[in-house]
Amino acid sequence: MKKILVVDDEENIRQLYREEFEEMGFEVTTVPDGAQALVKMDAAKFDLVTLDMRMPDMDGIETLRKMKEKDSALPIIICTAYEEYKQDFASWISDAYIVKSSDMTLLRETVKKLLG
Amino acid sequence: MDTSGINELSILSEISRISNSTIGLAEKLRRVVEVVARGMGKEGASVFLIDRSGKTVTLAAAIGLHQETVGKLSFPLGMGIAGWVAEQKVPLALEDPFSDPRFAYVPESGIEKFKSLMAAPIMDEDQCLGVIFVLSTPVWRVTSSDITLLTTTANQLAGVIKNARMLQSIQDRLTELATIYKISLALTSTLDLEQILSLVARNSTQSLRAQGCTIRLMNLPEIPSRKTFSSYSVVGEAILVMDARIGSAVTEWVVREKRAILIPDVTKDSLLPDSAKLSAGSVIGAPLIFRDKVLGVITLYNIQQGQFFNEDDLQFLTTVASGAAVAVENAAMYERMEDLATEARTRAQELSILYDIGTAMSMTLNLDRLLRIILTAATMGGSGLGFNRALLFLTNERTNTLQGMMGVGPSNWEEAGRAWNEVLARHKSLMEWIQTGELFENKDSALNDLARGIRVPLDSNGGVMSLTVLNRKPYNITDAGSSPLVKKELRETLRVDNFATVPLVAKDRVIGVILVDNMFNRRPITDGDIRFLSLFAHQAALAIENSIIHSNLETMNKDIRALHEQLVQSEKMAALGAMIAEITHEIRNPLVSIGGFTRRLAKKLRDGEDKKYIDIILSEVSRLEGIIHDNLSYLKEASLQLSEADVNAIIEEILMLYEDELAQRRITIKRDLSPTLPRVMVDIQQIKQAVINIMKNAMEAMEKGGTLFFRTYFLPETHEAAIEMEDTGPGISAKVMHNIFNPYYSTKPRGTGLGLPITNRIIKAHKGKIEVRNKSTGGAVFTIKLPCPSQGGG
Repeated sequence: MKKILVVDDEENIRQLYREEFEEMGFEVTTVPDGAQALVKMDAAKFDLVTLDMRMPDMDGIETLRKMKEKDSALPIIICTAYEEYKQDFASWISDAYIVKSSDMTLLRETVKKLLG
Repeated sequence: MDTSGINELSILSEISRISNSTIGLAEKLRRVVEVVARGMGKEGASVFLIDRSGKTVTLAAAIGLHQETVGKLSFPLGMGIAGWVAEQKVPLALEDPFSDPRFAYVPESGIEKFKSLMAAPIMDEDQCLGVIFVLSTPVWRVTSSDITLLTTTANQLAGVIKNARMLQSIQDRLTELATIYKISLALTSTLDLEQILSLVARNSTQSLRAQGCTIRLMNLPEIPSRKTFSSYSVVGEAILVMDARIGSAVTEWVVREKRAILIPDVTKDSLLPDSAKLSAGSVIGAPLIFRDKVLGVITLYNIQQGQFFNEDDLQFLTTVASGAAVAVENAAMYERMEDLATEARTRAQELSILYDIGTAMSMTLNLDRLLRIILTAATMGGSGLGFNRALLFLTNERTNTLQGMMGVGPSNWEEAGRAWNEVLARHKSLMEWIQTGELFENKDSALNDLARGIRVPLDSNGGVMSLTVLNRKPYNITDAGSSPLVKKELRETLRVDNFATVPLVAKDRVIGVILVDNMFNRRPITDGDIRFLSLFAHQAALAIENSIIHSNLETMNKDIRALHEQLVQSEKMAALGAMIAEITHEIRNPLVSIGGFTRRLAKKLRDGEDKKYIDIILSEVSRLEGIIHDNLSYLKEASLQLSEADVNAIIEEILMLYEDELAQRRITIKRDLSPTLPRVMVDIQQIKQAVINIMKNAMEAMEKGGTLFFRTYFLPETHEAAIEMEDTGPGISAKVMHNIFNPYYSTKPRGTGLGLPITNRIIKAHKGKIEVRNKSTGGAVFTIKLPCPSQGGG
């Protein structure tokens, strides 16, 4: 069973993504910030990460860079309410950039494609 | 009885008495012949006198002969009895003169009634002065004592004649002196040149018993306003007869020789051309010399025989001429001083007027008011320039034309009369007119309308108006009717023959033209008027220039203030935008939760009442997410990714994308896309978005379907590519039209209202234009115009 790590500071979003991905048949781990995410990565191997951008303490871009340093092959999807991060070159090392929507279709299809 | 001794004594004592009386020579001679005839007991007696030339004898007094012949009957020396006695200087007695060969019978004399005569020469020492006759009706045998008596009487008579002639000569001299005195007195009493010349001419003519006089003045710089020879004449028959033929010849001689000339008889003078053909006459001429310079020539003419001019006359004329020369010089100097004084007075008055006008002009910077002050000054009498009408034109550099700005002056005779009376009655100065504000009332005169209707192109074919600008000089048109400089339109508009134009030159630039005329009082416009008007125009031009600069500064200042306000506004908007962006993002996360969980819930529920509510929540969430998306797009700074693009291709791509939706909405697409449309440099995605937004707007307007017309074309004047979208919807209401590109203004129950503002923003970012209008047949037309890169730019 493939493992997905959801990084988001909003609990409701973590819950929503967990339910969506579990429904798709993945094992889901959720964390509220970047630091905890990096700790989780040391403890276990994940097949995909969804990463929020706007978070307290360590922001999404920094977390993204550190994750890619640890495991450059790990697919990371940026999931954010903001479109501006797209213009930041640093965001381009992610594998997908999705603006959050209540419609999960795009997210689900992207996950399927990356883990396909 | 010998009575001869007694007779002799009585005759001589009578003659002595006559000689001492104060009567003139002619009367003395008349009395003498009477005394001689009576004293000798005869019926007739006469006296002939030899004239100055000494060549003829003329009957001077007679008794018993026809009196008409006195002064006329004359014989050359040696002819007739009188001529013979005068020549031979001996007495002669003839018992029957009619048979004597020396006798010359003149029927007019009445001599035929006498039978015998005796004659004796009147001798003054060796010189013969004349002949005395005693005539007898019965035959008379003359005795030696008769001869002695007549000879003695003749000798006595010689004394009478000599005395009388001396007296005459003294009297003549006195008269001449008196004349000279009179002239010199008169010459110092007046400084009017015409009057002086008239006086000299009249007095000289009278004194020398001449029949004509001309005075010609040389055209010397000291004597202003005189032509080559200006002449003053006492017109007499002599001038008519002689002046035209010999006047200028005499004058030229006198000017050349610088001395007087006497021509006793013109028929015998070599100086004159064809002198033999001239009728008899005498001329004297003398130069008017002042400080060795010939100022002119005075010429006198005499055509009466026996009175021809002599050396004494010449002397007299020379004296008169030198006096006249001083007077002429004085008069000329006075005239020059008068001219200078008048000039100075005029200048001073002009300066004072200009000063007043200058002060008046400085009272306002408002162009309209300033133009009114200028034109009023040009048309005001007294403290103004006093023209009847004045029109002002300003140059327009953009259109290269001269545009009528204002006209001041009456429109017709009635108005002219009323205006002048009013001005006279109130007697107000320009300043008072301005201060009371009266000057700026009643702007809408017919002349003002007329002026504003005139527009003249600024080229060499534009006639006098544009020539005034191009050549920078004033024009005084005196015959507008026939002048090639005056165009028909201007002639018909102004309806005057005489008008003048002056350029308004400010800082070496012609900014306009002032046109003036005297339509109503018909006073001709003089060179002096033009000069003064030019001075005035110079001052006016500077004032206008200042006013325009001031007005430009004001406009600029206003623009800067507006810009500043805009800046403040946009800063506020930017702050507001940042806040909205923040809030929008904050809302997005909860919405994702609400929507996400609701969708999950929906999957678990079967269709029914509950499902209906779920759908409502979902659609509302979608709408909110839509608002957020549009909001953020609007707020996002439009940074353009320019690339060369084909507008037609962009449209085709959009239509392909929306093919299904358009069909669903039963909307037909029509195209009229220009195949030669130039390519444009645009952000293709943004332009696509802009067009889509308009198209969506049209689709929503045509709820029950319709036709959407796409048109593209090139605008060569502005070098733009145009995209036109025309729908068959209801059109746009005036209120909406006004706000159609305003953000957050929407009439739709659903939608963000940001579609068209975004489109507007995109087009503006491309430096293009967007326009919207309603068709008369209903439906709206949107037009986007995008600038095309200039040719050769790749």
